[in-house]
Amino acid sequence: MASLINHFQSFQLLHWLHYVIAVLFALGLVGLLIRRNAIIVLMCIELMLNASNLFLVELSIRDGSTDGIIFAIFILTVAAAEVGVGLGIILNLYRLKKTVNLDIFNLLQG
Amino acid sequence: MKEIFFILVSLFVLGCAMGVIVSRSPIYSAFNLILSFFGVAVIFLLLGSPFLAAIQVLIYTGAIVVLFVFVVMLLNLSHTSSPLSGQSALSIFFSTVAVWFFSLIVLKVMNSILLPMSQGLTSLAPVNPEGGAGEIQKISLALFGEYLWPFEILSLFLLVLIVGIYALARPHTVWPKKGS
Repeated sequence: MASLINHFQSFQLLHWLHYVIAVLFALGLVGLLIRRNAIIVLMCIELMLNASNLFLVELSIRDGSTDGIIFAIFILTVAAAEVGVGLGIILNLYRLKKTVNLDIFNLLQG
Repeated sequence: MKEIFFILVSLFVLGCAMGVIVSRSPIYSAFNLILSFFGVAVIFLLLGSPFLAAIQVLIYTGAIVVLFVFVVMLLNLSHTSSPLSGQSALSIFFSTVAVWFFSLIVLKVMNSILLPMSQGLTSLAPVNPEGGAGEIQKISLALFGEYLWPFEILSLFLLVLIVGIYALARPHTVWPKKGS
């Protein structure tokens, strides 16, 4: 608690970026849990990946090394790949049930 | 001046991210996603990595969201009601507070990731946007030098991915039954 107060008193502006990243990630996660449309769920996954990219790039710039930026490039590529596969799966689900509402797909539910 | 611009851009990104999760229709969510990706690209520029800002705009907004829009148009999804539609103001306030608390947890996780190196988030080195860590020369030297193996394996991964997506999404032919 004291460290939190200390943190707020010595507020540098680019610590604001940490809050932005945290809120962006939290918004992505809340959207993932709330929305029932499978495509919007994938979009919220992209939001979370964006937040982690921002954090990696910021740490890399502070450190002066390129490692974080290259990691972010790889995460970007893999995120694109995952969206492709996820949309392929959603297309097949739509062919099966004519809907993308996630409440309909409950066969594995106990 | 730069600080005010940075605060405005980050508020814009958060507003558009909010728009993604409360939109009535997937197309509105996709447009809000495009706007938030542009905002994140501007933050990358402010941090001093123009290469990643360009790559973000090209790949995220230029390919990924386009793919989303294609699929939404293909499936011809209609408007649904927004998740905010039936809620009272009190429940919206409480869920906002809950999201804020969860983001504090995320901040704690970010802090603890950095603890072995340098006492957490408060004692990082200051950001130096002109320091040259994000310049394309340095990134390409590292990508084709130290990280050549992961780069080549990534291209192989993309090849496997393309084959896999075709196998997933191809039209499935129905064979006629024998004897009829």
